Amino acid sequence: MLKATLRNFLAHKGRLLLSALAVVLSVAFVAGSLIFSDTVSRTFDRLFASTSADVTVTPREDLDSQIPSGATPTVPASLAERVARVDGVADTHVDASVEGVTVVDSDNESVGPTTGAPTIVTNWYVTDRSPVKLTSGHAPEGPGQALLDADTAKNKSVKIGDTLTVLAQPGSFKVEVVGIATFTTTNPGAALLFLDTPTAQTELLGSSDAATGISVTTAPGVSDAVVKQRIADELGRNAYEYQTADEQAESAAADLGGFLDVVKYVMLGFAGIAVLVGIFLIVNTFSMLIAQRTRELGLLRALGADRRQVRRSVLVEATLLGLVGSTLGLAAGIGLAFGLIALMSAFGMNLKSTEIVIGVATPVSSYVVGVGVTFVAAYLPARRAAAVSPMAALADAEIAGVGRPLRVRAVVGSVVGAAGAAALVGCAVSTDTGSAASLLGLGVVLTLIATVIAGPLLVRPVIRVLGGAFPALFGTIGRMSQRNALRNPRRTGATAAALMVGLALVGGMSVASASMTKSFDQEIDRTLGADFVVQNQNFMPFPQEVTDKVRDTDGAGLVVRQRFAPVAVRLPDGDRIKTTAAAYDPRLDEVANVTYARGDTAAALADGAIAMDVDFARDHDVTIGSTIPVEFQAGRKTELKVAALTDQGTSDGFGMQGGLYFGFGTVEKYVPDGQDSALYVNAAAGTGPDQLRSRLEASLDPYPQVQVRDQADYKELVRGQIAVLLYLVYALLGLAIVIAVLGVVNTLALSVVERTREIGLLRAIGLARRQLRRMIRLESVVIAVFGAVLGLALGLVWGVCVQQVLALQGMKALAIPWGTVVAVVVGSAVVGIVAALLPALRASRMNVLAAIAHE
Amino acid sequence: MPTAAPEHAPGRAEADGIAARARGLTKAYGSGETTVLALDSVDVDIARGRFTAVMGPSGSGKSTLMHCLAGLDTVSAGQVWLGETEITGLKERELTRLRRDRIGFMFQSFNLIPTLTAAENITLPMDIAGQRPDQAWLNEVIDTLGLRARLKHRPSQLSGGQQQRVACARALVSRPELIFADEPTGNLDSRAGLEVLGFLRQAVDNLGQTVVMVTHDPGAAAHSDLVLFLADGRIVDEMERPTAEAVLERMKRFDTVRAVFDGGDAPADASPGPAPGTASGPAPGTSSGRSPEESEESPESPDKD
Repeated sequence: MLKATLRNFLAHKGRLLLSALAVVLSVAFVAGSLIFSDTVSRTFDRLFASTSADVTVTPREDLDSQIPSGATPTVPASLAERVARVDGVADTHVDASVEGVTVVDSDNESVGPTTGAPTIVTNWYVTDRSPVKLTSGHAPEGPGQALLDADTAKNKSVKIGDTLTVLAQPGSFKVEVVGIATFTTTNPGAALLFLDTPTAQTELLGSSDAATGISVTTAPGVSDAVVKQRIADELGRNAYEYQTADEQAESAAADLGGFLDVVKYVMLGFAGIAVLVGIFLIVNTFSMLIAQRTRELGLLRALGADRRQVRRSVLVEATLLGLVGSTLGLAAGIGLAFGLIALMSAFGMNLKSTEIVIGVATPVSSYVVGVGVTFVAAYLPARRAAAVSPMAALADAEIAGVGRPLRVRAVVGSVVGAAGAAALVGCAVSTDTGSAASLLGLGVVLTLIATVIAGPLLVRPVIRVLGGAFPALFGTIGRMSQRNALRNPRRTGATAAALMVGLALVGGMSVASASMTKSFDQEIDRTLGADFVVQNQNFMPFPQEVTDKVRDTDGAGLVVRQRFAPVAVRLPDGDRIKTTAAAYDPRLDEVANVTYARGDTAAALADGAIAMDVDFARDHDVTIGSTIPVEFQAGRKTELKVAALTDQGTSDGFGMQGGLYFGFGTVEKYVPDGQDSALYVNAAAGTGPDQLRSRLEASLDPYPQVQVRDQADYKELVRGQIAVLLYLVYALLGLAIVIAVLGVVNTLALSVVERTREIGLLRAIGLARRQLRRMIRLESVVIAVFGAVLGLALGLVWGVCVQQVLALQGMKALAIPWGTVVAVVVGSAVVGIVAALLPALRASRMNVLAAIAHE
Repeated sequence: MPTAAPEHAPGRAEADGIAARARGLTKAYGSGETTVLALDSVDVDIARGRFTAVMGPSGSGKSTLMHCLAGLDTVSAGQVWLGETEITGLKERELTRLRRDRIGFMFQSFNLIPTLTAAENITLPMDIAGQRPDQAWLNEVIDTLGLRARLKHRPSQLSGGQQQRVACARALVSRPELIFADEPTGNLDSRAGLEVLGFLRQAVDNLGQTVVMVTHDPGAAAHSDLVLFLADGRIVDEMERPTAEAVLERMKRFDTVRAVFDGGDAPADASPGPAPGTASGPAPGTSSGRSPEESEESPESPDKD
């Protein structure tokens, strides 16, 4: 029996090719993502472990925020002397290091990475932990000298002797590049500029006694933990943050882990899609192979093989396929990981010197996924094979398995579909974001399953309509292709399902993103009253000089500043909420339209006052006049009185929970070194907006980190942010389509083989090759469009439900991107044509006589 | 051996013209030592308006002869004409058109497209050509074959005999110059077989069609006007106004001759096939108990995986 199975496997290897490819793709993504993240984490673990100081003393901070205030927390540099006296400390260094600084060259072009990785300006000192070494020039001495890292120097063509301008928070200053430092370890992608320590302290931190931390080298024979304990005892346990090298590496790895997790989950998402779509392909392949082998299986049964043996022989074949696919997939995954690492290098994260890390989990999960998927997908067809009766050997070989009723599918499909629909309706009417989101998730999964199960039932009605015009348009060839697509609803359904999954995703996401864009557009139209907004691309803060330049620009009238401050508020209901508050200049009303439920802008921005969203206030028992204790960074605290409640409709999101804001005086008092995040500018009387714009752009030329935007530009910026999400979805879609195309190719190719005699007959009685190709193409198109229509219908429903959830977040507009919908349908027809290329060619090349003589 | 060959001279007088003819038609499979001659320099004329049967044991080359005459297969040497058109040397596309417009086909089985109704199958060649069938003629054909009530049925809803009648209607409807029927009764019981043969006879007698039928059933051959006997790729004899008995006798004799001449060296593919010698007696239309004749097609069969 095993021998027969092996023979079969080898005999059908051509027909199993595409199934194997689907397994290979799935496994490649699983293995690739695991190898990549293992490799990168190992690399960075080593980097952090080898470059972290034994012990560090840094400012204690529990108010981290994604939206920075622009202030750099510091410790007194004099701490270094106290730390140096602690027993077991061999050496100390003062750190003066600032991230998110803009450094520009003489053409006012930023030398920082374009990838969003930070530019770090720091003080230069050499220990055996330094990640860089001086490779040309000399170390910076005194103000006006700096070292640049070699990668940045190369990428931005900066040479020794060039002058750079550092746009730091206290003020910008010029430095001459006196040396180049080269990474001795992996370059994580940042740009590094080194100053001497006193310059870094005064120019970056604004004080010669300021430091961003103290790095400690421990004496031999004393453990880091012991030294850390002694330093903490000396300086006060809660006064600062103390970390050993291991702890730093851990927290650095955790920070990086966030990014790596994103990459990993994206990759696993790809793997998931590949697996899901691949399953359909494999199910179809085995179903068709078994249908073709009905007689042979019947003969085996007649000769005495029992059902279990027949089933086992199919499953063994599937397992072999899985093993081969997994092995190739594992190899492809290693290639994929190499590719990703090369891609990272292109983005400045230089990983080229690292060796690939393959953990035990990688091959294990590869084989589990590969073999598991194949086995599961082949199980139903295997059962069907086992059900073949010995009589089948004697019966005339008509294609089996066409007419079996779909009742079970109808029942299961409608039950699951009803449950899914109920969940989606529940999601649409829910008023709580959390429960709406979980209902949405449930509804999406259930409706997807229901559609997959019920897909074959929908084949007849939908394809009747879709292909209804075929006989009129393409005559009898159109009729035959439409009927061929209807011939085996199960097969057509499973083939189309592969395409459906991807397109449902894209449909849902495009509705969601179009709705978000429209909502933001409306929001911007409604609230933004300023002629221009001066702002960083990433909404990051910028130095005071920018504000000064804008104010000094001829024709600039009102300038309203916006600053952010991470805060923690203790609310009357006892909750302590960490969020980000905004601060504005008094004449906010002239640049923005704020809707108030209670109070007004003047009250909200008064000294000692705070405003918040009315819903947030209600949820936390806040009323007008409530006194709220507010904590700022660096342990500063105050109490603010609630003076206004806003009703903007958009409260949450972007880390701005509660929509807190107060007067500019408050933020200047409690976050003294903060930087502005946005400037709302109106033209002065007598100056046209276009005139002002060109003047603003001229005066902001030295500050490439900020841009001048009017309402339209601002919408564009927001759209750009949303589009990033879409690109990911499109990439996922691309993969899903590739595999779906493989599925269509697979189905058609196997159908062509199955219909060899029919094709031979058609050719014999005078069907031209061209007509035959067209027949197969049309069948392919109708299957692909069927999948697209099903997927889009599902996706649109999902998208509307997603929008309902978003509406709870204030994004109330619903937009359905009909252009995208039409493009997808047309695109799916093209997909159908492409998928039919090879099968059609194969069919038209078929030898007429051989086809007639088949079997 | 082919004692009858000289008698079979081209250009027979009594028929009203020649529907198809072949000169020096040779078809070889394989090359070098393993060359098998399926047709060995065959000269043949198919008279218009007559019912010609081609008989011969398995491997005699009768199906190959039909395939070559119908433009389904290429020839190794020689020439073939359909009417005045020389089809040897036509391009694939022209051959396809020729088959579509000028030839009708019936095969032993799998004659119909399963997704099309009987009516759609009947008009298929004309639909493919984008031509409208002659409605009056179509009706006549449908009524002659008694298919009026079956037009909306799919092939799977038809009996074997009905399916062959639909195939026959399809072959007739475009009024081709020549109808080729390859073992049209091979898969039918005797009653349905007789019915189909009757229709082919009617097509010739009443509708003026030309039919060439390949068969190894003497009973079926007896319905024809002329039987051509093939053996080892040559036309070895012919018989006008055949009866089943005479054909069977001829086949028997022919087997004996072969046995005498070839002895044990008979090629493997020239197996006795229908084994007429074992038949209990001449039974017209008897088609049961025969093994499917497959070995004949095998030399160029596709990868049967």
